[in-house]
Amino acid sequence: MGRNTIRIGPLVLAGVIALGLPLAVRSVTYLHILVLLYLYAYLTTSWNLVGGFAGVLPLGHSAFVGIGAYTSTVLSLQYGISPWIGMMIGGILAAIVGVIIGLPTFKMRGAYFALATIAFAEGIRVMVENIDNLGPIRLNGPRGLQIPPLNTGLLNFMFATKEPYYYIILFMLAGVLLLTYAISRSKLGHYLVAGGEEPEAAMALGVNVARAKLIAMAMSSFLTAFAGTFWAQFTLYIHPKSVMSLDISFEIAFIALIGGRGSIAGPVLGALLLRPVTDFSRIYFGGKLPGLHLIIFGVVLILVMIYQPRGLQEPLTRAYRSVTKKLFGHTEAA
Amino acid sequence: MRILELKGVNKSFGGLKAVEDFNLSIEEGEILGLIGPNGAGKSTIFNCIAGVYPPTAGEIYFKGENITHQRPWDLCREGLARTFQIVKPFSSRTVLYNVTVGAFATTGKRAEAERRALKVLRRLHMQDVKDVRAGNLTIAYLKRLEIARALATQPKILLLDEVMAGLRPTEVDEMVKIIKELRESGVTIFVIEHIMRAIMALSDRIAVLHFGKKITEGTPKEVASDERVIKAYLGEEYGTA
Repeated sequence: MGRNTIRIGPLVLAGVIALGLPLAVRSVTYLHILVLLYLYAYLTTSWNLVGGFAGVLPLGHSAFVGIGAYTSTVLSLQYGISPWIGMMIGGILAAIVGVIIGLPTFKMRGAYFALATIAFAEGIRVMVENIDNLGPIRLNGPRGLQIPPLNTGLLNFMFATKEPYYYIILFMLAGVLLLTYAISRSKLGHYLVAGGEEPEAAMALGVNVARAKLIAMAMSSFLTAFAGTFWAQFTLYIHPKSVMSLDISFEIAFIALIGGRGSIAGPVLGALLLRPVTDFSRIYFGGKLPGLHLIIFGVVLILVMIYQPRGLQEPLTRAYRSVTKKLFGHTEAA
Repeated sequence: MRILELKGVNKSFGGLKAVEDFNLSIEEGEILGLIGPNGAGKSTIFNCIAGVYPPTAGEIYFKGENITHQRPWDLCREGLARTFQIVKPFSSRTVLYNVTVGAFATTGKRAEAERRALKVLRRLHMQDVKDVRAGNLTIAYLKRLEIARALATQPKILLLDEVMAGLRPTEVDEMVKIIKELRESGVTIFVIEHIMRAIMALSDRIAVLHFGKKITEGTPKEVASDERVIKAYLGEEYGTA
């Protein structure tokens, strides 16, 4: 058994299980929960490019989800453009907005940066909530936009069952994970980590920290907008509170911090742990204790920050390595 | 050939004049020491050269080119590297990762960057700690890591800011040896240091800074016997006593 088998083996196994899961899970509710789990893993992995590697804490990624959702929905409803193309356009638009937000805010540190990104995201949401028509574009203010489920099919990004959505988000997640892996090993990845940890030292070593962060922000917002389009096509109804709410930004941050920001496995691990909490607390306590999941997140976050400040991926990776070492008798480097 | 030249450099912070009318030139292949009591303005001069902030007045030339208002990352790519007096490692990453960041200044490929980083680590006798997380290193290794990272950018001139402070005497000797080897390999060295024994053994020439002004410049022997230097370090009364 070679090193690569140990490293790749579990990944292949996880992939096979994920691909086969819809065959075993016949319940629509559980499939829905799984789709949302992957969606949040995808969102957090996209967020991680800035929030993890670049070492800042953006709390306004809901704006990019909204931009993606609204762009593709408006284009398909009013202009008959396929949501797939709308998804690309939404991504580009989100990247531009991301850079515009990043230019002034990346000069700030710590909590000030987080607050500034919240302000931008909330500003955009309030604007959309109060605009019925933006020139020829119909946004419908707080009532939102409904996508009539008329023409199902791959081209229209619309399906009568949950399974196609499941596979689309699964492939999106796999894609963004591969991209993150590639970036973490690249020059950009090294520059982001360096600039995030010690900006002065990074600059002295040839790193244009501001530029690296802006590139990461553009990529992160571009990918985040894709999730917005997916969300719109999955629920077929969007309104500012559903796709631009700060709750999304906060849940992403919770997942990242608890799972382990700046690592590749962290966001997936965080989503695996936290998404079921959200969904099941909504199912069982939604009527009596709405928002219970946020209280649970808070408690978990405090415990994780005290005992594992780098997130849960670290002790789990260590445990995994010691198990493979015991089983196969040699150490795993990096 | 003059590799670095400072002409009438001034730097004030608000009303405080940190550096006043400072002139200096460094020849290629030289080791030049900059000494002076605490707060004399040594690190301020380094920061002006490395582009952290521009001088209030005056000009700085590197390889004949005016670099007075250039940014740190551009200067680094042109061959001017520096270390920090207060070490700034990328603590959560390994030693190799830290040095690889530096190596990326001159290549875009990771395999090549890592190869160069390993070469630098071997040169500084750090290959044994390459997989250690930088946050867990001892101060001696942290100081050496500062040099390794800077060296990985393949500089023409290296600005060393108190790389021997806090080291034990044997570690100081080792560092002196390393710096001399660096010069042998063709890197010009501009060094700030407090440990007199080390700076005397290292430098071809020494400049002395006192309250932001250069009070003298010369060979280690000349500087050591200069009355102004003795006064600067030991106080006015020492001369008359």
